[in-house]
Amino acid sequence: MDRLIYTALSGMDAAMNRQRAVANNLANASTPGFRAEELSVKPVTIKGDGFEARSLSQGAVRGANMDGGTVTHTGQPMDIALVGNALLALQASDGTEVYSRRGDLRVSATGVLENGDGLPVLGEAGPITVPAGSQLAIGEDGGVFLRDPATPEAPPELVAQIKLANPEGSAIIKDLDGFLRVPGGGALPGDPTARVIAGSLEGSNVDTATTLVQMIEAQRSFEQRTKIISTADDLDQAGARLMSLR
Amino acid sequence: MPTSALHVARTGLEAQDTRMRVIANNLANIGTTGFKRDRANFETLAYQDARVAGARSTNETAYAVGLNLGNGVGVQGTSRIETQGTLSTTGNAFDLALDGPGLFQIELPGGQQGYTRAGNFTLSADGQLVTAQGYVVQPAIQVPQGAQSITVAPDGTVSATLPGDAAPAELGQLTIASFPNPAGLQAIGDNYLVETAASGAAEIGPGGDNGRGSIRQGMLEASNVNVVEELVEMIEAQRAYEINSKMISSVDEMLRNANQTL
Repeated sequence: MDRLIYTALSGMDAAMNRQRAVANNLANASTPGFRAEELSVKPVTIKGDGFEARSLSQGAVRGANMDGGTVTHTGQPMDIALVGNALLALQASDGTEVYSRRGDLRVSATGVLENGDGLPVLGEAGPITVPAGSQLAIGEDGGVFLRDPATPEAPPELVAQIKLANPEGSAIIKDLDGFLRVPGGGALPGDPTARVIAGSLEGSNVDTATTLVQMIEAQRSFEQRTKIISTADDLDQAGARLMSLR
Repeated sequence: MPTSALHVARTGLEAQDTRMRVIANNLANIGTTGFKRDRANFETLAYQDARVAGARSTNETAYAVGLNLGNGVGVQGTSRIETQGTLSTTGNAFDLALDGPGLFQIELPGGQQGYTRAGNFTLSADGQLVTAQGYVVQPAIQVPQGAQSITVAPDGTVSATLPGDAAPAELGQLTIASFPNPAGLQAIGDNYLVETAASGAAEIGPGGDNGRGSIRQGMLEASNVNVVEELVEMIEAQRAYEINSKMISSVDEMLRNANQTL
């Protein structure tokens, strides 16, 4: 049988992978700060002597779509939405610096400032810790202000500065936990001009209408490739009939 | 592997279903005294590495990008939103509301400490200040028979005029508990919360002190559920559920097509 079916199979595989990436985007349509993944499929031409006839598909997640999500006002003082393309610096479980747009911050029982994913938020000097039970407010530039409950009339005291990183000009990829990283290790520079909106939370940037179109597209391209396989089958059967001895 | 898109979409359905349940519980408790609304938090599930970026593509070159496929979404947990509910005047002397952060302490059956914002207290047959379930408010306040004009000061001091005595007598002082991480308290139903490892240990003190809320007598704190907000969330969850179910039917269509064509 013609190797055509394997070419079609690689296409079916790619369409199914694409559908899976689309499904993941739709499933995360309400995860705060989620960045949609973009999958691109490229043809791989088998080079060799003669005619270049074989073309297989190879899919790759090209990284994340970094468009902004909808910002909703939540009224929670510990929720922050990042303005522009700034990223929140976090400490991953392996100790390296990763980035996220998810800004639902909270203080753990041990006093560590964490985001909704449970990773410590990084300041200029590592993770930010505050006295347990303290009332915090977050300033427009990412400054963490502590209000002493014993002296409510005293002005809030700046205890730390959240690192807001600037991804401009740097390559960033999603790692296996869904956080953004600099490929090959390294850290993004902090951006003193980056701004946050306190009391608001950025949603996922998944555009459901576009994603549904991508879903139908993936479905149809899968169907086209199954059609190629059945056509190859027809060709094969026709060949077998011609060759059969009467 | 070929059906995994189905499972990814399924995680989306499950997450939205849980979110809907949280919203339904918020709406159901809209009239519950001292109820604090919950918010469902989502997280992406771990990614699956079909091809690692940096893996060798040929002897000399490496893949510049990997093929990381997400496994969908999970519900990470619910967080209680601790904003103040509206205070409404009831005029009942034993209705106490907390204006500001903090919780009343209750002794649950078995001696466990419970905490609540619902201050619709009453007197038991033997004159103790108890909750609607009959659990004693801590520290226990004993109101003598025939006590008149009972007042609860903002700091929790309870005083009453006793028969045959013109000056009001102090009966005791209610204290307010605060926690390092109030969102870590576990709700056990009946408006009660209990301490967990995540909440930290209770710090007890008089009302209005050290950032604690002060007590308002003759008032009750309503739930902090905002109907409009919940309805918007409900519609959002419903639509997200619908698009995930569309995804399931789309993948099903693909697999059906493969089964029928091949």
